[in-house]
Amino acid sequence: MKQLTYSAIALALISTLAACGGSGSDDSTVVVPDNRFSFVATEMITNLNDEVIVSGYSALANRGEALYQATQTLVASPSQANLVAAQDAWKAARQPWEQGESHIFGPVDSLGIDPHLDSWPLNTTDLKTVLATTSGFDAETIKGWNDDVQGFHTMEFLLFGDGIADNSKDIGQMTASERDYLMGLAEVFRDYTKILADSWTVSHDGQTGLAYGELVKNPGVAGNTFYSSQVGVVEELVNGMIGIVDEVGNGKIADPFGTSIDTADTSKVESQYSWNSLTDFSDNIIGVRNIYQGELTGEADKQGLVDFVKAADSVLATRISSEIDDAIIQIRAIAGTNNMPFRQAIKDTEGRERVQKAIDALSTLQASLENDLLPLLKKWAV
Amino acid sequence: MKPTTQLSYLVAVIACSLLLGGCGGSGDEVTESVPEQIYPDYTDVTALGGDTTTFDASTSGHGFSTPAPNLNAPGLAQHLAGDVNFETAFTTAPNSEHPDLDGLGPVFNNADCNSCHQRDGRNSTPIVPVGKARIKLGSDAGIFLRISKAPNQPCVTGTAANNYCAPIPVPNFGGQLFHRGVLKARADWEQNLFGGQADVYLSYETKVVSYPDGSQVTLKKPLFAVENPFDAPGETKQSSNLTSNLLQDDVLMGWRNGMPVFGLGLLEAIPEADILALVDENDTNGDKISGRANYVFDAVKAQKGDTHPVSLGRFGWKANTPSVRVQSLGALRGDIGITNPLFPDESIAGTSMHDSYLTRTGFVDSGSDEHGAPEASAAFSDDVVFYAETLAVPARRNSGNADVREGARLFELVNCSGCHQPRFVTKSTGEIGGKPMAEALKGQTIYPFSDMLLHDMGDELADGRPDFLANGNEWRTRPLWGIGLTKTVNPQAGFLHDGRAATIEEAILWHGGEAQTSTDKFMALSVTERTQLIDFVMSL
Repeated sequence: MKQLTYSAIALALISTLAACGGSGSDDSTVVVPDNRFSFVATEMITNLNDEVIVSGYSALANRGEALYQATQTLVASPSQANLVAAQDAWKAARQPWEQGESHIFGPVDSLGIDPHLDSWPLNTTDLKTVLATTSGFDAETIKGWNDDVQGFHTMEFLLFGDGIADNSKDIGQMTASERDYLMGLAEVFRDYTKILADSWTVSHDGQTGLAYGELVKNPGVAGNTFYSSQVGVVEELVNGMIGIVDEVGNGKIADPFGTSIDTADTSKVESQYSWNSLTDFSDNIIGVRNIYQGELTGEADKQGLVDFVKAADSVLATRISSEIDDAIIQIRAIAGTNNMPFRQAIKDTEGRERVQKAIDALSTLQASLENDLLPLLKKWAV
Repeated sequence: MKPTTQLSYLVAVIACSLLLGGCGGSGDEVTESVPEQIYPDYTDVTALGGDTTTFDASTSGHGFSTPAPNLNAPGLAQHLAGDVNFETAFTTAPNSEHPDLDGLGPVFNNADCNSCHQRDGRNSTPIVPVGKARIKLGSDAGIFLRISKAPNQPCVTGTAANNYCAPIPVPNFGGQLFHRGVLKARADWEQNLFGGQADVYLSYETKVVSYPDGSQVTLKKPLFAVENPFDAPGETKQSSNLTSNLLQDDVLMGWRNGMPVFGLGLLEAIPEADILALVDENDTNGDKISGRANYVFDAVKAQKGDTHPVSLGRFGWKANTPSVRVQSLGALRGDIGITNPLFPDESIAGTSMHDSYLTRTGFVDSGSDEHGAPEASAAFSDDVVFYAETLAVPARRNSGNADVREGARLFELVNCSGCHQPRFVTKSTGEIGGKPMAEALKGQTIYPFSDMLLHDMGDELADGRPDFLANGNEWRTRPLWGIGLTKTVNPQAGFLHDGRAATIEEAILWHGGEAQTSTDKFMALSVTERTQLIDFVMSL
């Protein structure tokens, strides 16, 4: 900290003295000490807000609507094709949600949407009792119930079955009560994803508060008690990336992986019913890539955190890009050559070797984000 | 409160004035004197938590969630284990798929710690949608009601016979209203799926406060209504011939919000003598601020066989718990319903609701597992306590800003520091919560901006509930460190015990009682000065 304090004082002195000049002829010449770098973050923050975060939540809301419609169709016309269509709609909705976990701050937390949509573990005991004793499910009633009988994973359980032997379900195994409850859950899901999207573009509290996106894009302006500076927004984004890389590597993968094949615990596997785990994990890190690169996969280049890092250290910028890509590759490689789901891989000798490689890749990435990227905030002459 | 002012002042000439003074160029003799201002010595302090301060997350929503950077390797490992526990969501017992996570309730307020301390900060203030008069508290509420019977007379000396002046539990309910339950918690569960002891509804009333300069602020206050108690389904306060124990006139109720959980180990490590030195119960210095200590039942001492298990209260809105350990594990058992080695019995054990639940379901949820052990292990409990003890304090923001510096001066001028005591030094040896204290917490110079004492805050804020020696008007001074990050951590968070204040300004305007003089002085400031004072508080 001594170095930072010294630099900050030096910069303040330089800035203050520069204001004394009078002629203004040298105003553009700002002496920046060697250990600091300049980067104008306005475009990057605006782009990440509009094109990554808001765009992602918009996609989530649209897919939430599609999932609800798919369940309506399934209720109206129970068939294997309509069940598969609802399963696909669930997976489609899962993608933007998992990618969005790289920036899980703001209304998704303050409005309680994360626990409503993605609580784990599921309470199958209570769920089965509800299905056996209740009928005529409506969305508003369900919203008042506990989170462990609603959201993604309850819908997943109803759509795919218990996931132990396979991730398919015959429509004949699905009761009318399950279909009705699924539709109610999907309506709740649709409502919350709409609220989440609106919170970033209309009002963060659904009342008189500004859109959360506007607060993110305008840090430090009068009345913005949410973000006092652009440093805060960038710090939020970087720590968000670190958080999900840590959670995937040290939680989602490491917890069920255990310390040996004997201690591996499939009950801890995320999305174990649908066998969507590896897609979840890779989407989490693709979400990191979206924030880092500034655009969704396949879209034209826009400003992202990579440009911020480049301004300080172009070699580091490239290295982190590679490490993100490698982490995604290693997660996907867990499936091996026979498309092995994660819950089987942690119980398979060769599969565990592949899992370990993914953990190592994520650990490498996390170290770079924590030890190399995060400290750049202190060197940023904002 | 403070018998004598203990602040040493730093006489500072505004730095910018000095620097600009050197820019003249003409060489003219400038005789006009630059007015000097006196700034309190905490004006430019940035490391509010000493060496436990984080600078890596002090401007973002991660500001309350970082481990103290000076933790050693074993300490960091335990902190991270506790972090996982803090976010663990529990489920109904028995749960064969996740037996390590079962034991929720059977009645509770939330299923995990994080729901009431979102991102380690305050919970969200409930929103009543436009067009609705009130909402029923459900799974997204981090607020709950404390309940107790009104005592016949104030309790002034705690003894074993009077349960050390603890609040008197409501018969068949307890001291906290659990508005949620597991599926079959209630005997009438088929009509009240996931129902708790009673339904709780929240609404708001508003009032307008006017400054002397004519500007106005609208304040809102949350009101509650309790209905449909388990012991008299369907009853409301308006019912005739009330039979529910809960709805009797002598039952006192008060809202409680979750508080931020960072820096707590430091607060517990403040030497007791340094807190007691600030007590001024009879206002001997005539500043209209008293400051009283609360003395409360200490479960740690009781478990160790202490014959007088009472300690200085430090935590909770009324300083009604003595340690992070008692506070955290009490919440684990109470708020969530997870019994643990310090609190091995269910909070509703012995009530007809619990008896009925066990009889009806045959479920193993008497607070212990098949081996007789509590639902949370000692390791789980120790780790989550250690986590709350060792979260870093976020560094200040904008501390060098001229308006912020001026705000510090006004903070002192208005005498906010009369209760919001800026500085302490933590003890260098000893225990906290009956366990060895982390090395990282020892000997730290900290700036919590709280005297840790009780103050009468006036009738508007009062909930009327005595709690040990705290009377119905008294609240413990809230630490101000990190308060400027509140909305960054949780955009929907509010201030004060029930989240009624959406902004720092609103919170100040709610201050009455012993703080009324300071509030009046604040209101008499110009709008520029008020903004500067708020800017200072926001920089903390």
